[in-house]
Amino acid sequence: MLGYGVGLRPQHYSHVLETRPKVDWFEVISENFMVAGGRPLEVLEGVRANYPIAMHGVSMSIGSTDPLSRSYLRQLRDLARRFEPAWISDHLCWTGVAGRNLHDLLPLPYTDEALRHVVARIRQVQDVLERPILVENVSSYMAFADSTMTEWEFISAVAAEADCGILLDINNIFVSAFNHRFDADRYIDAMPVERVVQYHLAGHSDHGAYLLDTHDHPVRDEVWALYERAARRFGPVSALVEWDDNIPELAELGRTADRARTIFGATAHTAKPDSLEHRDAD
Amino acid sequence: MPTDLKKLQGLLYRLITAPTGVAEGVASERELGAGGLDAIVLGDDRLSAQARVEIYANMYFYRLLDVLKEDFPATLTVLGEDNFHNLVTGYLLEYPPTEPSVFYCGRQLAAFLRDHPIGDGAPFLADLAALERAIVEVFQGPDAAALEPDSLRAIAPVHWPALKLRIHPSAQILALDWRVSELLRAIEERRPWKPAEPGAVKVLVWRRNARVFYRDLQRPEADALEAASRGATFAKICDLVATGAGHPDPVAAINRLLARWLSDGLLTRAYRPRDLARR
Repeated sequence: MLGYGVGLRPQHYSHVLETRPKVDWFEVISENFMVAGGRPLEVLEGVRANYPIAMHGVSMSIGSTDPLSRSYLRQLRDLARRFEPAWISDHLCWTGVAGRNLHDLLPLPYTDEALRHVVARIRQVQDVLERPILVENVSSYMAFADSTMTEWEFISAVAAEADCGILLDINNIFVSAFNHRFDADRYIDAMPVERVVQYHLAGHSDHGAYLLDTHDHPVRDEVWALYERAARRFGPVSALVEWDDNIPELAELGRTADRARTIFGATAHTAKPDSLEHRDAD
Repeated sequence: MPTDLKKLQGLLYRLITAPTGVAEGVASERELGAGGLDAIVLGDDRLSAQARVEIYANMYFYRLLDVLKEDFPATLTVLGEDNFHNLVTGYLLEYPPTEPSVFYCGRQLAAFLRDHPIGDGAPFLADLAALERAIVEVFQGPDAAALEPDSLRAIAPVHWPALKLRIHPSAQILALDWRVSELLRAIEERRPWKPAEPGAVKVLVWRRNARVFYRDLQRPEADALEAASRGATFAKICDLVATGAGHPDPVAAINRLLARWLSDGLLTRAYRPRDLARR
């Protein structure tokens, strides 16, 4: 359990390096540091010297039908060897096909075919990285007629069959629940307790007919309520505040992380059973 | 490989990136059966299937537009928002992203601008974009420690003629047809800017202590740096400096260049070829 962290963004690099603010841990976007050299890696060296980190990717494209990129995975593995993150995560989605990249997190149909496909690829990734990864549920704006299971059934089955962890994005559950009219509480209640290793907390935009996962607003009260439900069910789980646009000062992100800590502290929760995170620590 | 999933992803990719929008993409799509898009993507009373795909189409374009605005702020300033938007629309059709990182999205923008009619009124734009792209690349280029002046002073004079200099691996020398450095600097410093003047120029872009710098190179320095990059000996570099500028005091000229390269952090190593052979 890393505690209550904040996503590291360029706007805060200097502040973090110069003042060493009181933050439990930072999550870094893996691709931003898969570079030859320069400022990004220099910053990460400085941050890593003082804080635990987790590496969070956006381009593994674990659900794509293109072959997994060996060079991408090697770069990711090398970065992990150098900076020793507590864990590595990416999204349960696809980001491109036929050699083209959409730079977006697109949902999969929740079918047996997609399940087999994704499970096999996560196993390949874990073999290269030599560690289990976490997969994150994405916000989505479309669902497929072919789906034969719910999103929570799909992600639970993926985690069980690929033997990986889950990064549960509470805001993404709320956004997708609104967009597809499912019950967010049911989603939380269906997640396998022992596989949930991390939460994401973020804000979104209300477009009337749909919610958009923009990471540019404070966490909404409804999302905090969902987090509280998760805190009761999953016990101690590391939480991370994401903010990617209209980014406020780090102190505000820290206050959001502290709110997550306070909510968890005030929640009557059960002790977390042996989880993927604990198993790794052993 | 699952065929159906592959077909679905190919279809969605084509619709999201359709040049004239999702609706026309759906109309011209041969992969769709009688049920159309509604048989594949679930719509409801709030959002049709097409409207849901359009959310992704908009995000695709505007996310990449934002990346390119950030990487090419001066090109954006010269073109203005609307023209830059139109430029990016065409650019993404010609050069859709293929790499996992958005860092690579803008690598062909200068080449795209060279033949684009949007540059007719501002023919220096391709060179301006090339300089901005080089700055982005140098920022994340390979690391190397700068050579300390003392390590040069320690080399015995007898070894200097055969000495070779290694330039910082992230440094780039651009050969441009327009003098865009001053234009870029004016925009960066939020000063009034005027169009770049024509004229062949070489521009050095380099990094020191994580900061990127750029400056126009005068003739003898450009020749000398390029020769050093190619592995020329110090004697050859001196010849180029001595003959290139017709300088009355070539020794003073080469000393000034060396001092500047050292203070700029441009040099990372001075070695004799035998040093490498031993390694």
